[in-house]
Amino acid sequence: MNKILLLEDLPEIRAWVKALVTQVFPQAQISESARVHDALALISAERFDVALVDLGLPDGSGVDVVAALRDTQPEAQSVVVTIHDDDDHLFPALQAGAFGYLLKEQPREHFVEQLRRISQGEPPLTPSIARRVIAYFAAQNKPQERPQNLPHVSLTDRENEVLLWVAKGFTLPEIGTQLNLSRHTIADYVKQIYRKLNVSSRAEAALEAQRLGLFRR
Amino acid sequence: MPCFAPPPTLAHRLRAAARRMAATMGAVVAVAVTSALALAALPAGAADEPGVIEIRTASAVASTAPVFPQDLKQRSVRLPDDWAESLPQADGPVWYRLEFTLPAPHVTPAPLMAAYIERACSTAQVWLNGNLVFSGGHLTEPVTRSCFYPQLVTLPPALLNPQGNVLDIKVQGSALQHVASRQRAGGLSTVQIGPHALLAELQARQTFWNVSLVQVISAMLVPLGIVMLGMGWQDRRSPYLIYFGLLAIGWAALSARLWWRDPPWDNATSEFGVCVGFGVLVALAIQFLMRYAAMRSTKLEIGLLVQCVLVPVSLALAGPERLYTATSGWYLLLSAEVMAAVTLYLRVTWRKGPDGRAEFWPMAFMLMGVGVLVLVDLATQHGWITLLPVHVLHFSMPLMFIAVGARQIQIFGRALQVAEASRNSLESRINEVTAEIERNFSQMAELRVEQVTEKERKRIAADLHDDLGAKLLTIVHTSESERISTLAREALEEMRLSVRGLTGKPMQVADALADWRAETVSRLSQANIEADWRSPTEDVHQQLSARAFVQTTRILREAVSNIIKHSGASHCKVRCSIGEHDFVLVVQDNGKGIPMELDGKLDRGHGMASMKHRAKQMQGQCLVESGPGYGTVIRLTLPL
Repeated sequence: MNKILLLEDLPEIRAWVKALVTQVFPQAQISESARVHDALALISAERFDVALVDLGLPDGSGVDVVAALRDTQPEAQSVVVTIHDDDDHLFPALQAGAFGYLLKEQPREHFVEQLRRISQGEPPLTPSIARRVIAYFAAQNKPQERPQNLPHVSLTDRENEVLLWVAKGFTLPEIGTQLNLSRHTIADYVKQIYRKLNVSSRAEAALEAQRLGLFRR
Repeated sequence: MPCFAPPPTLAHRLRAAARRMAATMGAVVAVAVTSALALAALPAGAADEPGVIEIRTASAVASTAPVFPQDLKQRSVRLPDDWAESLPQADGPVWYRLEFTLPAPHVTPAPLMAAYIERACSTAQVWLNGNLVFSGGHLTEPVTRSCFYPQLVTLPPALLNPQGNVLDIKVQGSALQHVASRQRAGGLSTVQIGPHALLAELQARQTFWNVSLVQVISAMLVPLGIVMLGMGWQDRRSPYLIYFGLLAIGWAALSARLWWRDPPWDNATSEFGVCVGFGVLVALAIQFLMRYAAMRSTKLEIGLLVQCVLVPVSLALAGPERLYTATSGWYLLLSAEVMAAVTLYLRVTWRKGPDGRAEFWPMAFMLMGVGVLVLVDLATQHGWITLLPVHVLHFSMPLMFIAVGARQIQIFGRALQVAEASRNSLESRINEVTAEIERNFSQMAELRVEQVTEKERKRIAADLHDDLGAKLLTIVHTSESERISTLAREALEEMRLSVRGLTGKPMQVADALADWRAETVSRLSQANIEADWRSPTEDVHQQLSARAFVQTTRILREAVSNIIKHSGASHCKVRCSIGEHDFVLVVQDNGKGIPMELDGKLDRGHGMASMKHRAKQMQGQCLVESGPGYGTVIRLTLPL
């Protein structure tokens, strides 16, 4: 974890997050930005391993930065750091390619713990997010509701099972115990689910753009 | 040609055809019956009656003398005496002397006697044994026109001799050439002498058929014509109604010649007018037929107009001495024209297919009737058949008009019904559409209000997050004091829950339970406390309001925080049960319990008061049981 992008408009919070990031990744080189515009300029100039992105910014939404990073630097891990905890904000960020999300007001130790887990490949997943993912893919599987020619992205039975457990309120370690799987395997399922969510939504977006005539072939 | 409209069923067609046939037949039968009645009345002369004699011979002399000119040469004539044959050039007056002996009375006392003159054209005066007993009107121009009026002359008993009575009749009339129709050429019919009562009846019958009936029917024609004009005026797409109306009224006007005995103009003018009038009527009739068959020819119209002008011009050129010849020619031509128009009309109507056929038969019957009448009249005019005492044409023709008119009214009425029906359906359709538009509009308005409200909620939520949230967050992470930091964090959570309460929709209890379970189990296990959560996972369909969810989340969160921070427990049991109208959440730990305050109440520092307060706000209750060393049980009951 050498290069980290930190996008946050409030100076105090930025300083606070920076301190925590430094605590988790002492060797990291941190690039700070307070605006979407500046962040886009930064990611077009250099490569990052991790990006901590706020959503509500003065000149736009951090979701755009997440999407741009996903397009140009797929190996970079985007983590949304936000004050919003509702699905309406989180789901689009996950669709854009975010790998996890952190709530800003969490106590220092929780924040550090979660950040560490995400960086180790254990993305967070709440029941409400799981419900939305299930509903999203259920709609995708109905041919009449799916736009024509849309590449069919669907979840495996296991991924679906994991989601169902999460939706019922079980924690990832509990699910691991239930399914007789390791903690890492469960985390891999969740990562895979996030990835498919992103692939599906990007295909949808591309198709929509094509429909609107943004791409001429 | 393919027909896309569903064909009417055979039964329906038959019914419609039968209805039309019935109407037509009704009209035709009416005409036939009246004609038959009229003809039946013909031989019913009183000559065969006992006590009635019919005088068939007379001495005649043309003279203007005021009394019978006995000194002039007389000739013996047979009655009826038709001047056209016996005195072709005579315009009258002609004196007739009839001699008779009273028939032997077969009843006593002897009845009042009378002389019945069926036809004295144009009018006559009668002397009995040298005494003037009757005058039919003016014998000088303008001569009274009584050709169609049978005359009844009462014979005063005082003037009658048992034998050798002399009846002098002075007839004023016109030569055939001076009239437009043979029926109005001068002449005298046979004379019947008999009881007054008997002959009066005969006269009444004859008057009825020749005059009264014509008057009545003509009187009907006028309003019919006016109705037709009105209908035609209203419905400009049916100009034939106008022509028909004019035709009916024109015919009625022309029929006045039959009963208007004393016009203020001379005979030549009357005859001239009648012929000109026929020209106009024929033009109207042809126009009616053509327009009714939806045919229009400007040439024809001009031709008819020209003809209307040509008739009087030619009559004037021919002069009054050749009036009959000229009018006969014209009548022949006009009849031919009418026949041609009828044929053309029937042909076109027949070719229109089923609809045309339906119209064809009624009109064919009536028009054929007209044709027969016209032919009969032509024959009469040319003397091929003798003058009928009753003029069928005069009343059957108007009957035809009435039949056709009734048919027109029927068609008009039906069209009116159809128009009314379509207007009603249009109106109801408009009402439907209007209602639908209004409904859509109100739906859209509602939707818009909802959208605006939702948007506003989101804006407020976003503002709260960006402004208040950011400031609280800064306090959380920059405050030196742990207490202030915690307070700010709690305030932030409060704010977020408030916003969720503001924007959130009701959620499924099952989803709420899942959220609570995930958070509770996660927090407890991070604090190394074993969590045992049991709640119904299936068959939970109740809904929870956003506010209830928020409040319950706070209570549960507070309870879990207390366990983590203060209880020192190693195990926590959560049980949830859902009833019909409420749900119960029990959180039990195995910690050291809540210490009592001095006054015996549970420690307020653990936020018990705020938990209870929140429960009360939702019409529920929060019970806390605790004793040192026995752990704590929190029992939350909330209505659904």
